[in-house]
Amino acid sequence: MSLVAGPGRGGLGDGQFSQNPKLCVDKHVAYIQSLDQRRDELDYWLTEHLRVSGIYWGLTALHLLGHPDALPRDDLLKYIISCFCDDGGFGAAPGHDSHMLYTLSAVQVLVTLDALEEFEQQIPRGKDKIGRFIADLQNRESGTFAGDRWGEEDTRFMFAGLLALSLLHLKHLVDIDKCVQYVKSCQNFDGAYGVSPGAESHSARVYTCVGTLALAGRLDAADTDALAGWLSERQLPNGGLNGRPEKLEDVCYSWWVLSSMAMIGRLHWIDKDRLTSFIFQCQDPENGGIADRPGDMVDVFHTHFGLAGLSLLGQPGLAEVDPTYCMPKQVVERVLNG
Amino acid sequence: MASHGVSRPAVAAVKSEQARRQELAEIEKYKSLSELVNKKKAENDLSLDALDLTTKLVSLNPEYYTLWNYRRLILLRLFEQEQGNGGSTGSEATDALSPRQQVVEELITADLQFLIPLFFKNPKCYWLWNHRDWLLQQAQAQLPPVTALKLWQGELSLVGKMLSLDSRNFHGWGYRRTVIAKLEQLQDTNMAESEFEYTTKVIKASLSNFSAWHYRGNLIPRLLDSCQADSTTRRKRLNDEFKFIEQALWTDPYDQSLWGYHQLLILNIVPTAGRQSFVSDLTNSERLDLLEREFKGTRDLLEGAEKCKWIYQALLQYAELYLELDASNRLFTTQDLRHWLDQLKELDTLRTGRWNDLEKKLNL
Repeated sequence: MSLVAGPGRGGLGDGQFSQNPKLCVDKHVAYIQSLDQRRDELDYWLTEHLRVSGIYWGLTALHLLGHPDALPRDDLLKYIISCFCDDGGFGAAPGHDSHMLYTLSAVQVLVTLDALEEFEQQIPRGKDKIGRFIADLQNRESGTFAGDRWGEEDTRFMFAGLLALSLLHLKHLVDIDKCVQYVKSCQNFDGAYGVSPGAESHSARVYTCVGTLALAGRLDAADTDALAGWLSERQLPNGGLNGRPEKLEDVCYSWWVLSSMAMIGRLHWIDKDRLTSFIFQCQDPENGGIADRPGDMVDVFHTHFGLAGLSLLGQPGLAEVDPTYCMPKQVVERVLNG
Repeated sequence: MASHGVSRPAVAAVKSEQARRQELAEIEKYKSLSELVNKKKAENDLSLDALDLTTKLVSLNPEYYTLWNYRRLILLRLFEQEQGNGGSTGSEATDALSPRQQVVEELITADLQFLIPLFFKNPKCYWLWNHRDWLLQQAQAQLPPVTALKLWQGELSLVGKMLSLDSRNFHGWGYRRTVIAKLEQLQDTNMAESEFEYTTKVIKASLSNFSAWHYRGNLIPRLLDSCQADSTTRRKRLNDEFKFIEQALWTDPYDQSLWGYHQLLILNIVPTAGRQSFVSDLTNSERLDLLEREFKGTRDLLEGAEKCKWIYQALLQYAELYLELDASNRLFTTQDLRHWLDQLKELDTLRTGRWNDLEKKLNL
């Protein structure tokens, strides 16, 4: 089961995009469904290390598009379970080592499929094992998280760990106050966050830090107006958002930036119409899928984050997305309130 | 991870039969190599031969993170084997390498070398940085300090080269901070001054390199602390930095990187909660004078750049700070604030919601 490989082939040249673009729902659904059938492309094999995340991106995109059942549920579930490792984490594909990033994707997929019980039928005490795997990766002194046993620490892993634990109702296994302290130490004078203390502010890191604060119930620790000001400056005249000052726009920042703005209640500080139109122009109207920029190759990563961004912008016809969990809001509510 | 910046062909590309066959052949080659490596891994084969196989496969696909993990397991075993072969007889305390350490050093150096062309081909691949970091940690754990130091010094020139190719590379700047911290630790020195000079050089090459401005801003407190700067020196540094950035702003007031740095300096005049200034003993009247000077300087920039939204934005932000320091404001009128905000709304239609909120906040 692969939903990673296969940038859309062909498509239209520059100048042919902007004529009255609209959301190509059916094309995107067909594009995502086609991804597992591209074994005759080298890219399919070269992206094996992303399979579980690919399923998360594809499945979430389908839910947002209103076609949650467009992929065979049993196959997805079987595949995800086949990526479970003895240490309690998930690898990106069967035989791949466990890692925080794929553990989060796997948990997100299990939850979206409402399959945690089935998972536990096959892996007794599976949820606890996952919880233990994640909790053991926290550095109890600094609060940071490693991605795996090899020790690379990163705010991505902190956020991923907390997010997965939150979905499993196991947040109590880690020291959340330490996480908040660490996030604060990554804050720069501009109100935004870098990857580690002293590192330059970066939109994707802002998402992991603000997301951590949101999960910790500590959004009060953010310097809201300065941060939102910095985030709003990410919008460029063509409507797209960039990751840092003086960099190019990219559809995936529609998520990192917008979700952060939504969490701190400042979504109205950018021009929604122009961003919507930018994302529309990144679609491949013929073969489906969304690219980083108009005219580029599409892939499922940008398709997912483009649609999630559009959902936050209130695009009619899309299901609502949760800005912290990056999952359908309905699913998150079922899990957290259920 | 995903296809960033890969152009989509204007015409639907149909692969020729030959190209298709070639791709299938490549797939077969990749798959069989991958199967072989995975078989070895499943058998816990930690031999030099297995290492060579991972070299081949990871060269084809450096994102295949499990291979790097496997590679580290093999290297650890090879390090241990050399330990088992004897030779670690007390010489580890000295600078000379024992036979075991020589082998460890060779393995580590070879792997560091192996990574370099991969970096230049995949400058954004996290796993490569991760593995490099691990190798250097091993060097520190297994080799005499002087050898580890030599390796870390090599890293500084590597990261310099990487940043000269892509002066905004996020990983590159992060790695530079790591390397410097390590070199400072190993040599028990402070490199803030030479790093500060490095940022001057990089900024002079390109004013809009915000990464360099950011780094510079973070270096200043360290630089001043390292030489136990007195309050005069600290004030001079602040003024010199203002001069430097103002020169740059006169060159290009439309460059937001420059405004970022100007803002950082301003926040050192008026420190906010939880953030210390590098001139911590400014009196209130000094603060007002400095802010007034910078405010006027910013206002002067409007001449010939009346359509530059950054200037209005800065004026409004600094005006707010000024009002917090001195409510009896002589520097600008409410009418000025109104005018600047109107200009901003007209020039910056992307952020109308933000300026509307500011309008309410300023009670205009």
